[in-house]
Amino acid sequence: MDKFMASMNKKLIPIAKAFDTNRYLDAIKNGFFGVMPFLIIGSFLLIFGNLPIEGYPEFMQSIFGAGWDSIFNIPFEATMNIMTLFVIMGTAKSLAKHYKINELNASIAAVVAFIILTPFIFAGEESGIPTGAFGATGLFLGLISAIVSVEILRFIEGKNITIKMPPSVPANISSSFTSLIPSFFVILVFTIIRLLFEGSGFGTAQNFIYQILQAPLTNVGSSLPAMIIINLFASLLWAFGIHGTVIIGAIMDPIWLSLTAENATAFAAGANIPNIINTEFQSNFVQLGGAGCTLGLVICMVFVAKSKQYKTLGKLSIAPSIFNINEPVIFGTPIILNPLMLIPFVVSTLVALIITYFTMATGLVPLTNGVNLPWTTPPIISGFLLSGWRGATLQVITTLITTAIWYPFFRISDQRARQLEDAE
Amino acid sequence: MKKILLVCAAGMSTSLLVNKMKAESEAIGEQVAIEAVAKETLGEHIDSANIVLIGPQIAYLEDDIKTEFADKNIPINVLNTVDYGMMNGKKILTEALTQI
Repeated sequence: MDKFMASMNKKLIPIAKAFDTNRYLDAIKNGFFGVMPFLIIGSFLLIFGNLPIEGYPEFMQSIFGAGWDSIFNIPFEATMNIMTLFVIMGTAKSLAKHYKINELNASIAAVVAFIILTPFIFAGEESGIPTGAFGATGLFLGLISAIVSVEILRFIEGKNITIKMPPSVPANISSSFTSLIPSFFVILVFTIIRLLFEGSGFGTAQNFIYQILQAPLTNVGSSLPAMIIINLFASLLWAFGIHGTVIIGAIMDPIWLSLTAENATAFAAGANIPNIINTEFQSNFVQLGGAGCTLGLVICMVFVAKSKQYKTLGKLSIAPSIFNINEPVIFGTPIILNPLMLIPFVVSTLVALIITYFTMATGLVPLTNGVNLPWTTPPIISGFLLSGWRGATLQVITTLITTAIWYPFFRISDQRARQLEDAE
Repeated sequence: MKKILLVCAAGMSTSLLVNKMKAESEAIGEQVAIEAVAKETLGEHIDSANIVLIGPQIAYLEDDIKTEFADKNIPINVLNTVDYGMMNGKKILTEALTQI
C-alpha cells in the first residue's frame, strides 16, 4: 500500500506542478487576482439594484426617482461588465514581470493589441468601442492577446533590434525609445490579424475565438459530467495532500468566472439567468466549508467526538471551516493518505454537486445571480446573497446530508483515536 | 529581529498557525516576527526572513522554492502534516527556532 501511495504521489506531483507553475496559467491567475476586488465590489452592488422583495423597486423609485438603480448599475458596468480590459492588463503585467521586461509597456501593448482586434462602432457622427467586447465573451481573446503581445515584446527585445542610445542620454529618454520597436511589432502583428479576420467569414477575431474556443470550452466546463470529473480529480490530488482546489482553479477559473459574468449581465438586465455552473456554484455550494464538504466532519467532531484528538481538532477547525478554510481538518484528521476518510470526502463532494445541480436545474433553487463573492463567504450568507432564501436552505440541507455521510466514518476514526489514547 | 515566514496557497490557513505560534512566542518570551504569505508573493517577503516553512498542501513546490531562493541561504522546510493540521504552534515554533 505504501509503495502504491508513493508511486501515485510521484506521478501526481508533476501534474500539479505543470498546472500550478505554468507561466501562462500563472500570469492569468495573477491577472484575475489583481482584478478581483473590483469584480467583487461591482457585482455585489447589483444585489441592491435587484433585491427580490415585493414592492422594493417601487419604494426606491418613490424616494429617489426613476434612475434610482443607476448608483448600483454604473459601478457594475464599469467593473464586472468590462472585466476583460482589466484582466488583460493584469495578465500582461504579470507575464512581463516573469520575463523581466517593462511591465507598464507590456500592459499598454496588450490593451492596444486587443483594441486593434475590436472593430469600433459608428452611429452617425458618434463612435465608440463596443463594451460587449470587453465583457465575458471577449475574455479568452483578451487572455490570448495579452500573452501573444508580451511574447512578441520578449521575442523582439531578445533579438536586440531595439534602438540603443549613447550612455549620455538620460535613462527615461532612452527607455522610451527601447520600447518603440517591440511595441511597433505588437501593433503590426495585431493589425495584420485584424485585417485577415475582416477578410474571413468570421468578421472579427472576437467572434472567431468565441466560437471555436471559448464557447466549446465553457460548454464542456459547465456540464455535469465535466464537473464530476473535475471534482474527482481535485479530490484525488487532495488525497495525496496536494492542494487540488488551486490546481483545478488554474484551468477552470477563467471558464467559471466568464459564466459568472454572463449571469451577472443577465441579472443586471433583469433577464433569465443562463448558467447553473460557475465559480460560485463550485466554491459556495459544492465545496461547502471547503473541499470535501468537511464542514460536516467538523460538525461531527464538535458534537460527538469522544477522543481528545478530535475534540481539540473540532474546536480548532470549526471557525475556519465556516469561512470555507479546511486545511486543518484535511491534515489534522488526517484525510490525506487515509482510505477510510477519503470515502466520505469524495462521496460528499459528489452528493453536494449532484443535489445542487438538480435543485437548480429543476428550478427549486434559483441559479446564482452572478455576484462574484469572495470564496471565504460563510454558507447560508453566501447562499442567500447568491440565490435568495432557497439558496441558503439548500446549503443547510447539503450540510445536514454531508454531515450524515461523514458521521459513520468519523465514529470509526474517533473510536480508534480513543483506543490509542487509552493505551498511552 | 528573527523572522519566520510561512507560505501556503492563499496565506489564509497558515495565518491561523501564525496566531498559534505568536501566542507561543509570547508565552516563552521569544522576540520573533512570524508572517504568513501566499506562494505568489513569497519573493516580496523572503528578504528579511531567517527561515521559510511551506504548508504541506503546496509541498509539491518544495523543489522549485528551494531552487529559486537557494541564494538566500536560509532553511526552507515543509511543515509536518499532522503538526500543521493540529495547528501545533508550540512544536513548530520550537523546531523553527532551533534552526535559525
